[in-house]
Amino acid sequence: MSYLIDNTEGAQYLLMGNEAIARGALEAGAKVVCGYPGTPSSDIIESLAKIAKDMNIYVEWSTNEKVAMEVAAAGSFAGLRSMCVMKQNGVNVASDFLLHLAGSGTRAGMVLVSCDDPGALSSANEGESRFFARLVEIPLLEPGDFQEAKDMIKWAFELSEEIRNLVMVRSVTRMSHASGNVKFGKLPPGDVHAVFKCDGFILDPMEGAVMSLPVRYKHALQQEKIKKAGEIFEDCPFNSYHGPEKPEVLIITSSACNLYSREAIGILGVEDRVGLLKLGTTWPLPPELLKRHLSRTDKILIVEEVLPFLEENVKILAAEMAPEIGIKTFHGKNDGTIPAVGELNPDLVVGALAQIVGIDYKPVPDEYAEKAEGVPTSRAPARELTFCPGCPHRASFWSIHNALQLDGRKGFVCGDIGCYGMATLPCGFSTLKTLHAMGSGGGIASGFGKLGRLGFDQPVLAVCGDSTFFHAEVPALINAVHHNSDFTLVVLDNSGTAMTGFQPHPGLKVSAMGEDVTSVDIAEICRALGARVEIRDPFDLGETQETLNELIEDKAGLKVLILRQICALSPEKKAGKKYDMTIDDEICLGENCGCNKVCTRIFRCPGLVWDKEKMVTRVDDVICSGCGVCADICPEGAIKRKEVA
Amino acid sequence: MKVFGANELLEDVFEKNLCIGCGACTYLCPYFRSYRGKTAILFPCNLTQGRCWAYCPKVEVDLDDLSERFFGRPYEKDPLGFHRSVKISKAGRQVSEGSFQAGGTVSALMSFALSKGYISAAALTDREGLRPVPRLAQSTDDILRCSSSKYTASPTLSALNQAINEGHNQIGVVGTPCQVLAIAQMRSNPMGDKDFSDPVSLVVGLFCTWAVDFREFDAFISERIEGSRITKVDIPPPPAEIMEVYTDNGKIEIPLDEIRELVPNTCSYCTDMTAEFSDISVGVLEGRPDMNTIITRTERGEKIVDEARKEGFLILDDIGKENLEHLIWAAGNKKKRAFIKAKQEGMLNAREEGARCYLRVRPETVEEIIA
Repeated sequence: MSYLIDNTEGAQYLLMGNEAIARGALEAGAKVVCGYPGTPSSDIIESLAKIAKDMNIYVEWSTNEKVAMEVAAAGSFAGLRSMCVMKQNGVNVASDFLLHLAGSGTRAGMVLVSCDDPGALSSANEGESRFFARLVEIPLLEPGDFQEAKDMIKWAFELSEEIRNLVMVRSVTRMSHASGNVKFGKLPPGDVHAVFKCDGFILDPMEGAVMSLPVRYKHALQQEKIKKAGEIFEDCPFNSYHGPEKPEVLIITSSACNLYSREAIGILGVEDRVGLLKLGTTWPLPPELLKRHLSRTDKILIVEEVLPFLEENVKILAAEMAPEIGIKTFHGKNDGTIPAVGELNPDLVVGALAQIVGIDYKPVPDEYAEKAEGVPTSRAPARELTFCPGCPHRASFWSIHNALQLDGRKGFVCGDIGCYGMATLPCGFSTLKTLHAMGSGGGIASGFGKLGRLGFDQPVLAVCGDSTFFHAEVPALINAVHHNSDFTLVVLDNSGTAMTGFQPHPGLKVSAMGEDVTSVDIAEICRALGARVEIRDPFDLGETQETLNELIEDKAGLKVLILRQICALSPEKKAGKKYDMTIDDEICLGENCGCNKVCTRIFRCPGLVWDKEKMVTRVDDVICSGCGVCADICPEGAIKRKEVA
Repeated sequence: MKVFGANELLEDVFEKNLCIGCGACTYLCPYFRSYRGKTAILFPCNLTQGRCWAYCPKVEVDLDDLSERFFGRPYEKDPLGFHRSVKISKAGRQVSEGSFQAGGTVSALMSFALSKGYISAAALTDREGLRPVPRLAQSTDDILRCSSSKYTASPTLSALNQAINEGHNQIGVVGTPCQVLAIAQMRSNPMGDKDFSDPVSLVVGLFCTWAVDFREFDAFISERIEGSRITKVDIPPPPAEIMEVYTDNGKIEIPLDEIRELVPNTCSYCTDMTAEFSDISVGVLEGRPDMNTIITRTERGEKIVDEARKEGFLILDDIGKENLEHLIWAAGNKKKRAFIKAKQEGMLNAREEGARCYLRVRPETVEEIIA
């Protein structure tokens, strides 16, 4: 049984931030939890899915974030505490519903958890989700440590019920994925009875229709709610100040930056000179609380990641309060004291603070920095991002690349987020030429596919993963079919949401909770749309390339090629080798005319290594996954595959 | 001979649109492939020397070297190239009926060479619709299936390279002048391979004034035949000035001027109408649709023609003076035009250190040709 459902009050566990958030939802008695996978948010749903049956809660990996928020909202409307979870750009996907939900209000507590990814460690963007709270006028909380990550979720549900509206909680990678001690509270009794009351007076918030109409009335109501939240925030336990009564410098911060700031103050030994205002309620800012703390000093440093959200909001308040608190000097992202892009860390905060308090301190001495810079280039082999050994994408893009080269009309591929986004790099033979949001490959291709009348004659391909297909590709395909746009969509179907850890999606027969569910067939959807559909195994290079060329030349509008091969890291495949691979040194042409290392110079599966001394290729048996594809790359047949008995 | 690599080939031939898609560079390595009449490079190769460059008939072709090697003398101004005889010919009674262009001489020669074991396989050009398809023929039936002109540039030599990869070492090839030039370079072992042995036993060249780009031709014809199946394409000898396309819905005629629009620019630099580095070259004969013109160049070519005649595969006759003069005039015209153009564009005999060019030939010879 999972430690997450240990009902011993006061029990302490070392929890990852995302687990703490999950535990918070359990302690709050959340009954409906859904989301769409996306690093760094995925572990929250995964943790809860494992214990969903034990705890009698409904957990779902939804088709996309908007649907996830809608499913969660249904829980709230039916009187169940509910939570939806997504990464930063997922909030963009959900934002249309978010706007309307914020207008209609909620019933039982509902919390939106957004896990942002400063520095885009696992993202194709450095999106900032906090502005959504301000944009749609809902309260925003940011946990500043791991205990808070749990406690704040429970508090967020209570706040949501207090104001009858959605509450947003924003985490970041270093909060979600780092770990800390968390003291448990009690789990509530699990008896609930879901019912949607909708026969009352139409404007009754608990028994009427749930909608954002009439807009003026509901909007005014919504503003009363956010104002009330602001009042509650004045005494919120998650806002705290540490430091002298009258510090030289006041740091205002939130989230993981709270930890960096505490560390920075300690490292510089300026506990008696610098005050730290750590905010847990970052929208709306509680004005009285801010006034109190801003009055302490004239020098303010705002430490936060991604966009200057806190900084701008504090400045607005400070401008309004200027007659009372005086003129302040602000340091932060706007004046460049804090870097405008990328993650923060204690060193960066130390550097910023040292500069302001006039301490000559270099977090990393020049000599050390110089040495450190030299180490990776002198000692470690040059490496770049690449697909795993046995990755079906390498084989797929090999064929796509070759088909486009053979075609010779300067064709290209439009794509989106996923492991296959690396096809912009040499590991995918630099085939992918546009990369944007989920499903954007199809939409952009649909546009290119209509430019024929304007002189455009390059073949257009789009790629998407199987999970992405359901998430956001379908409307683009409908658009393409409806407008008779000419392009070929390649669905890289590796049987799961592979990049984020094999979460199930609508194409699979099992749900997040491990229940049998109806699978939705990608090929049938495409056929029903009227597309020509072919299905191939990307490991069959010849057939895949031939099919691609045939589809590229077929001018009949939308064509779909589904390349089906399970991800090399999937639990089903892992450790199971289909082939033992060996090299025949006598046959290997190596660098000679006729080959010139096509396997290690171009195909570049990490499982193949160039032996500089013998001038032949070697198989790295430790990482070779035995897919056998390289045997078909070798022009001489020097790479041998033998089926594993 | 100067030998460079794939990067220089891209720069000098592909980027200058000089590639005719003969197939000489394909299937030597994983990088060059033929597809729908065009040669594609799949991935860059950084070797400084490669067979792709060495075999290409569109760059650094040293005509004097090749002529010395095959005929024991430098390249001369003769419009027909070095030859032992020029006659007219047609298939003999030993050759079963086929859909021949003109006299069926090429099919007769290849059938004969295969039946006598002079060759074990023949790299030929078949057709699927309008698309030229390289074939390795290993029976008389295979050979007859590939009969008749294609008029499109075709990657025939990819069949040759694949045959060599498969271990064939007695191969017959039928090719256009550019293809025959590539074969000549291949046979002269430009990479200096110690284990080299000439895998080609018979080269039959085809007269060629130009060929059309397959992709453009396909698009052009498709618009005009509306889904009918093409059975044969013919350009009757002058003065007809038309192309005849036979389909299962009848024949259509297209003025040659429209077809010439589809000829790739690279053909305008070609100095060779009669495939001067073949063993035997064959073309149409003006005014006699049932006969071919046949030029014999090498000893082994002469031997095969002679034997084929004796054994009833080939019927020979003398070429009339008027026909011969006309042939020389036509071949001379093509050669002169191409040399003038290549010279004007600085594509001959680059002298600077490291400079690369299209053709190398003694400047005196060039002057004699363009005089």
